[in-house]
Amino acid sequence: MSSSFALRDLQRDLENKANDLGKHQKEIAKNHQLRKKYTIQLGENELVLKELDLLEEDANVYKLIGPVLVKQDLAEANANVRKRIEYISAELKRLDRFIQGLEGEQNSKREAMMKIQQRLQSIQAGKAKA
Amino acid sequence: MASSSSRGEMEKMGIDQLKALKEQVDLEVNLLQDSLNNIRTATVRLDSAAAALNDLSLRPQGKKMLVPLTASLYVPGTLDEADKVLVDIGTGYFIEKTMEDGKDYCQRKTNLLKSNFDQLFEVLAKKKSLADEAGMVMQAKFKQLQAAPTS
Repeated sequence: MSSSFALRDLQRDLENKANDLGKHQKEIAKNHQLRKKYTIQLGENELVLKELDLLEEDANVYKLIGPVLVKQDLAEANANVRKRIEYISAELKRLDRFIQGLEGEQNSKREAMMKIQQRLQSIQAGKAKA
Repeated sequence: MASSSSRGEMEKMGIDQLKALKEQVDLEVNLLQDSLNNIRTATVRLDSAAAALNDLSLRPQGKKMLVPLTASLYVPGTLDEADKVLVDIGTGYFIEKTMEDGKDYCQRKTNLLKSNFDQLFEVLAKKKSLADEAGMVMQAKFKQLQAAPTS
């Protein structure tokens, strides 16, 4: 009798863990998406910086603000893009660490699930024999 | 994973593992294909920009033309100076360039895209052959299983 209780408990536990893991995987996917977005932005900003570096000192640079083009200092634009690259790189690093942590948690959760599954199977096998 | 040594590794894998591997590689192939398509459209856009620049540089100053305001409304205008162009370099920044520099910009960008395209294409070819190989090994294993179901 007690073994059937234990069985039900284990099954419930397994279900909870599976749900948890699913949520976790969604979270990881979301962060991967975010990471991709930042990588694209970083690439674009680096292209812009390369282009700005090629310019002469007195070149005319404009920034699009809403629908208007506003003239901007080359040095200012340069500093702006550099700062953006710095910021995005830092954000990427932070995300990388975050994702790594999440993936570590995911693996340990998966292992815990496997263990429960094995226990369930062994109990069921024992029952079948009995 | 080097594709030359992977065949032997694949032979050792179970069907489930092979399936997972194939799915993973297929996913990567799709991703690469998307990237290649994006590069192709970007190249087409740059090419049309370069063509427009070329066209513009051939027209004399004061040339009469119709300027599109919307897709179906045009107003008459005359061409002022055509030796200064504004180039969108991304993230909201525009740079004033001379006609020559503008053409050079387009050329540089198309070259960059082309080299990226070639690199990606190579990777894609490798991944594709890897996926095919995984599929083939998987099929062979299935056949083996079906030939001897009760052994």
